[in-house]
Amino acid sequence: MSTLAHYSRIWLASARYSLVRATMFRGDLFIWASVELLWIFVNVTMVGVIYSHTALVAGWSLYQMLLLVGTSMLIQRFLMGFFWSGIFEMGRNVRSGLFDFVLAQPGDPLFMASTRKLELDGLLNAVVAAGLVAYSAHKLGLHPGVGDLALYAAMVACGVVIHYSALVMAMSLAFWITSSQGVEGSYFTLMEFSRLPREAFKGVASFVFVWLLPVVVVSNAPARAILRGFQASWALGLCAATVAWLFLAVFLFRRGLRRYTSASS
Amino acid sequence: MTKYGQSFLIGLQSNLVYRWNFGVRSIFWFFHLLVVYILWGAAYAGSPAIGGYSFAQTLTYFVVVFVLQFFIGAFNEDYQISEDIRNGLINQFLLKPINYYAYRLSVFTAARVVSGAFGVLALLVALPFFHHYLALPPEGWRLALGLPAMVLTALIQFSIAYCFGLLAFWFLDIQGFVILSMAVETLLGGQIVPLDLLPPGVFQVVRFLPFFYQAYFPAAILTGRQGFDFALQGLAIQAAWAFLLVGLAEFVWRRGLKHHTAAGG
Repeated sequence: MSTLAHYSRIWLASARYSLVRATMFRGDLFIWASVELLWIFVNVTMVGVIYSHTALVAGWSLYQMLLLVGTSMLIQRFLMGFFWSGIFEMGRNVRSGLFDFVLAQPGDPLFMASTRKLELDGLLNAVVAAGLVAYSAHKLGLHPGVGDLALYAAMVACGVVIHYSALVMAMSLAFWITSSQGVEGSYFTLMEFSRLPREAFKGVASFVFVWLLPVVVVSNAPARAILRGFQASWALGLCAATVAWLFLAVFLFRRGLRRYTSASS
Repeated sequence: MTKYGQSFLIGLQSNLVYRWNFGVRSIFWFFHLLVVYILWGAAYAGSPAIGGYSFAQTLTYFVVVFVLQFFIGAFNEDYQISEDIRNGLINQFLLKPINYYAYRLSVFTAARVVSGAFGVLALLVALPFFHHYLALPPEGWRLALGLPAMVLTALIQFSIAYCFGLLAFWFLDIQGFVILSMAVETLLGGQIVPLDLLPPGVFQVVRFLPFFYQAYFPAAILTGRQGFDFALQGLAIQAAWAFLLVGLAEFVWRRGLKHHTAAGG
């Protein structure tokens, strides 16, 4: 319990620092919040244009699809808000030797590296994404109970953990290849798959993007929990993927850390 | 002219150094195409034609848009220009008889030769999977009008990126502006949906914006989504935008220099 309290205090201190920094650079916060909002708008417009010409895509109606897109955005915004900056800097710091500062801090290096910064713009837009989900559910005439909402929240949290793990694994490659260029692009490219319904994937694409890489499951599982209620196979699949990916990420990070040679002479 | 020829050759060499970046971008391109294929394939499953176009025509449009981006798209020119300003490297150009716009344009052209080669390579890899779905119209005039449209598109893309890069004269970090503009360009440039699928009223407004000519216009000429008269009118509007944006670039450069402080020995 004292360990939990210790890490909570560290996280709260980082969060406080991030909030102060964000309020100091208000123009920057406004620009980045607008950027994220605009990207949500771009995705919603794309869906709107497609559905203005067809009623169903892979058996999903307009508002079902918007609920899926909103869920995918929600997961992405939480990741951006809580972890993105810290993990993204990790690759650069490993290369430059600045990772020494993380190792000198009083906590687990992975925790310290990935929770250093909180991005307020990402968290603000999580509210917009949640609004999109709520609006879509309203238009579909859904009235999820407290249990359904708790299940949805837990599944979104699992999705965030899976995305976090994938990013940590990608950035941990910096311990071996000294450059993690292109990782940002690869993440956003993979995120595009998570906005598609599971039923759209056939053959090899289904095997790779549904089973091998859980990019489709992370968004489809929570969206289905709201749309169709609890489905044991999806919930268990998501839990298994979460544990497996987190385990792999921590394993890879620790193996990489052993190779880190520090910046000092 | 010789000095810009030399800049082109140096640009060619320095871009070849970053060939892996272009290689990685080609892989992303393949995944983007896969997302398009899965999404639009699912949309077309319920209707044989969307907006009057078959699945093959729409897929061809996206393939052409993606390949064109390799040849005429501005990738990180804005960032490079802002770095020149931030690091003070711009000072060396102020002391020499070199037009910075022309210098940057020659480096941009060199970069597009290299990335274009990778685009062709990516296309060759993708062709075995997608060639059944490609449907290019046979009319010769499309190439005759499409090529000048491509040149003007490159000029528009470069000039917009150049202007955004010059914002570094006023702002420390321009990344937010760049990604904000990227979202607008992605949507209104027709990179996520063919613009002719927008409601007619919106399409009529969008066709007078410069973004329309950043991707959609040359692709629409080459893939048969627009007729001869529309292409001719469009070329006139596009030429006017190119002229205006080159003028704007010069104006921003002159204003920016008034803000610039060259420090150091």
